[in-house]
Amino acid sequence: MATTKIDNRTRWDTLHKNGPFPLKLFLTTKLEKNSSGLSGFEKYKDVAVEIQKLIQQAADSNEQFRAIGSKWSMSNIAHCKDRMHYNSYMNLKFPIFEGEMHQDSNYEHSNLFWFQCGNQIKEISLFLERRGKSLKTSGASNGQTIAGCISTGVHGSTIDVGSVQDYVVGLNLITGPNPEDNIYLERKSRPALRDTYVQNLNARVIRDDETFNAALVGLGSMGFIHGVVLEAENLFLLHRYVKKIDKAKALQLANTLDFSNYDPEIPGTDFRGVRPFHYKVFMNPYNTDEEKYAVEFIYKMKYYEDYKTDFGNPIPFQKEFVYLDLLYLFIKIAEKFPKSIPKLINLLKSSILPKEEKTTVGKLSEIFWDTGFQGKAFACSFGVDHTHSSKALELLAKLTREHPVPGIFAMRFIKKSEATMAFSKFPFTCMVEIDGIQWSDKEKIIGLKEYSKKLIGVLKDNDIPFTIHWGKNADWEFPGLVEHMYGNEVKKWKKIRNKLLTIPMQDVFSNAFLDSTKLSEPLAADEDLIV
Amino acid sequence: MRLLKITLCFGLVWTMTSCYSVRFQVENGQWEPKDTEGGDPYYSGYYVRTVQKKVVFKKLTTGADYFNISDCESGALHTVEYRNTFGGILLNLVTFGGRKKVNVKYVCIKENSM
Repeated sequence: MATTKIDNRTRWDTLHKNGPFPLKLFLTTKLEKNSSGLSGFEKYKDVAVEIQKLIQQAADSNEQFRAIGSKWSMSNIAHCKDRMHYNSYMNLKFPIFEGEMHQDSNYEHSNLFWFQCGNQIKEISLFLERRGKSLKTSGASNGQTIAGCISTGVHGSTIDVGSVQDYVVGLNLITGPNPEDNIYLERKSRPALRDTYVQNLNARVIRDDETFNAALVGLGSMGFIHGVVLEAENLFLLHRYVKKIDKAKALQLANTLDFSNYDPEIPGTDFRGVRPFHYKVFMNPYNTDEEKYAVEFIYKMKYYEDYKTDFGNPIPFQKEFVYLDLLYLFIKIAEKFPKSIPKLINLLKSSILPKEEKTTVGKLSEIFWDTGFQGKAFACSFGVDHTHSSKALELLAKLTREHPVPGIFAMRFIKKSEATMAFSKFPFTCMVEIDGIQWSDKEKIIGLKEYSKKLIGVLKDNDIPFTIHWGKNADWEFPGLVEHMYGNEVKKWKKIRNKLLTIPMQDVFSNAFLDSTKLSEPLAADEDLIV
Repeated sequence: MRLLKITLCFGLVWTMTSCYSVRFQVENGQWEPKDTEGGDPYYSGYYVRTVQKKVVFKKLTTGADYFNISDCESGALHTVEYRNTFGGILLNLVTFGGRKKVNVKYVCIKENSM
């Protein structure tokens, strides 16, 4: 039997210390031991029963229940005040075989894999690589769990691929304590698995595009994501090169994403006119004289075994990371003397910005490696249509110079997602983000909430449509924020939530984040009919 | 003179606690996670375990004996950190190699991750 350890706690915090937040119980579920002799399928079904028992207990106590993975989100989206469930040990993995495919499926069975919720990106990559496969994209690092990634829309800067949720083809949700609450969702337009395969896992099949798309970025509130079916692809290599290019050119490429006449002039290569796999622009908001921006180009290459012989080991050596105490010392200075922030950022830029003119070639998992900094951090990240990218960057950087905070900007680009509540909602979304080190609100620097409120305000005042990364810092209580960003999609999302979860279960799977954003409020009956 | 003595005392305390760490880590493995709070930011999110023995006899560091690690359910290690302090070196020196301070942290590979 799967077992759950229940600890009494008074508080909980994110990986980057964006809390702490109050908590009653912290639950950790472990699978039945391998020595039990149970098969992977049997262990999967066994732990599903355990999760349903925990959901029932939460409902009986009139308390909230929320699954968390690696707690990388900086907003309070992962937190609930009552019962938080740590699912990183739920990490079963199943390849899909030909006989398990739906008769109308167009997927190649060898590219499909069923992963349990607690699998982390790194272990998924390692598992796939041993089978000659790779994820299509990931975030900038690899510690998140797969369920956490898709619930919040984790993304990289893969222009023509999208975010992590965009290669999910099936979702196993547990929406309540009853047997019929164990469901498997797929798009009707793109079926993947046979009904009998899913039924062997005690799940009920629902094939519906609208339902699937709404549940895909479910914000942890569409039930417990027990498993996901991913579409992988054959292993490939990435060629990464960072160089400074003219600011005007960097911004023009961002606004157009037209690389057809551009030559990045990377030594030893010919990428003239080639659209990169990944394009990222770094910008120090405090250096207005900057004529060149550091830009990261990553191109996709065919995989071959001996690439390390040609290019060396792509995995960064730990000593290259910034000494953390130095960063904290700088923040202490900045808190006392906010006017020093621009000078401090300029001093630190060689440590913060990536090394220039250095070719790195490796697999996706090697290029987007373990994160170097896991201390106190903040990040505000706005999605805008890529044609607005330079304008949005200019406005947000100007505001940051008026209210200095210890961080630098970057722009990343992602293809539109089909998920109803994906922040990558534009044909190509530019994520304009400022990342940095947390500071104390009690000091002379503007508070983070106030700063993010001003960021929202400046985009609204300038009529730039935007979204905000669900897992990043923002003034989530900004009036009408989610409706402003998503319009009618909010109603569609709520309608599906009403369909999948009973009202008591909606309460169980709610939290303060959902309340702040008004997403926990059910649709009125007449609105449900209209959507 | 008094100032010199104080400085020397501080210096001695500092050298006793000054230390270095050596970390070994496998590239192709998933570390065992844990919901941690506080501690070394480098290990944030890692399930870090520590070898309990602080002072050991010479035969454990030079002979055929081993520190048994029996709590990695996967049976594999992801990270090993060996930490040495000036105090530890001094102890080893004054006991003519008979005693050694051992301070080892390790992180297991996550079970079922391979």
